Amino acid sequence: MSAPPIPEIERILFTEEQIERRIREVADEISERYRHGDLKLVGVLKGAVFFLTALARAIRIPVKIDFLSISSFSTRPAAPGVVRIAKDLDESIEGEDVLLVEDIVDTGFTARYLLQTLAARGPNSLAICTLLDRTPRRIVQVPVEFRCFEIPDRFVIGFGLDYKQFYRNLGYIAVIKPDWEQRGFNL
Amino acid sequence: MGLITVTGAPGARHEETARLIAQRLGFELISETRLAALIEEEFAPAGSLPERVYPELMTSIVARLATQHHLVVSADGAELALPEFPGLLRVYIVAPESRRVGVLMVEHRLDRPAARELLHKLEAEEKLRRRRRFGRGLRRMENFDLVINTERLEPEEAAEIVAAAATNRGIIEQGLLSPAAEAHLQFQVRLKLSRYGIAPAGKLTLKPRRFSHPSEEIFANLLDFYRVAWEYEPRTFPLQWDKHGNVIESFTPDFYLPQFDLYVELTTMKQSLVTKKNRKIKLLRQIYPDINIQVFYQKDFENLIFKYGLTRPPANPPSRPASGGARSSTPEPAASTTR
Repeated sequence: MSAPPIPEIERILFTEEQIERRIREVADEISERYRHGDLKLVGVLKGAVFFLTALARAIRIPVKIDFLSISSFSTRPAAPGVVRIAKDLDESIEGEDVLLVEDIVDTGFTARYLLQTLAARGPNSLAICTLLDRTPRRIVQVPVEFRCFEIPDRFVIGFGLDYKQFYRNLGYIAVIKPDWEQRGFNL
Repeated sequence: MGLITVTGAPGARHEETARLIAQRLGFELISETRLAALIEEEFAPAGSLPERVYPELMTSIVARLATQHHLVVSADGAELALPEFPGLLRVYIVAPESRRVGVLMVEHRLDRPAARELLHKLEAEEKLRRRRRFGRGLRRMENFDLVINTERLEPEEAAEIVAAAATNRGIIEQGLLSPAAEAHLQFQVRLKLSRYGIAPAGKLTLKPRRFSHPSEEIFANLLDFYRVAWEYEPRTFPLQWDKHGNVIESFTPDFYLPQFDLYVELTTMKQSLVTKKNRKIKLLRQIYPDINIQVFYQKDFENLIFKYGLTRPPANPPSRPASGGARSSTPEPAASTTR
């Protein structure tokens, strides 16, 4: 493998070719599983956008798409708040076969909240498809029906995954160097 | 005093709504599991007491706690067991069956037909239990002050409505339950319980939730954010006994997550102490093989709190520094839609 194109990257975990091949395999499984269904892919903004579009293109059955996003944790002690839908789906999912498309599942907190919220809206079925599954971090067990890759407990970027909102647009997935933070990474 | 009862049918997400109300108003939450633990502490394990004294047990526990805290009680039948309390607001959460089936699908990882079957089973069990405890299987809507349908309202919207109703009625301004009122209630309860030969120990207090390490508070906040129910140090497990049967070593995990039947131990200590704790956890797993416990080591925890933007990574990190996740890794107070 050639040297990483960005110096702060320790190594490339999955190349574009590996990702593309694996997405095609998972898309085949999904196409088979839902061949008699009414499939809707629900992407979680922003990280899942890249994965969802690649996955949707590789799926061989008719498919609808929709997006939502959730609020994130605040450090302000006065307003700890609770997780909520920041941008809701545009359309109802009642009676549809919903596949929640995630970039990464780690603690399981977000996935569980989303599953609970969506399940209450009367879909015919509900499942999770994730690009990356970081099981060492799991606190809450959630069923993950489709996963492209399991990854170790490291900070990864690329293919939708960010560092301070950057690097989502990398075509590959990479592990950053452990001392990246200490170098005062600035963009 | 402020006493809000929040109940609902299986799958109506009333426990979650109750938790949000308690958070919003700063009330103490008494969930079904917490109430059971308190009853066990004050009287005896639930299975060993006759079902028909349950209303009195609940009244006794709530009366004691209500002298010290404003309360949200999320235990079935609370609206019947506690009618004499001043400042009472009784809330019932309803949701259409299809929604409740959906909730059970996720919580029990079932398909729709199995979840529907489970729902009907839970409803039948609940009805039977209510009949044994309160002499009445069905709920009557006139026993509630507020009935909220969550078909279109999210739990936080329901919580907001309840908080507004509580504020409007001025239940907090009424103050806590007076000792005289508590004594009166306890007298009535004891009279009834004495017929069954049951005497309360009278030792009940809520342990103040004083976290012994800042990381525990952060973890609790994180659980709150994700609406995960938790209890702090609710149970101590004896690990070693002397020849007289006295406990000489025990272990108290930091958190219990009742929805997942999972204990969580945060280990943010020196390596020498970690070794000692690991030995205890190993022992715990041997003696109590049915207990699920997950250990979070300092490294894991730093990763987690950095990931959620709770703190900056340490200035002199260990060999493997804060490697966050890739959802929202901004170490600043949250942007609203990052992931």
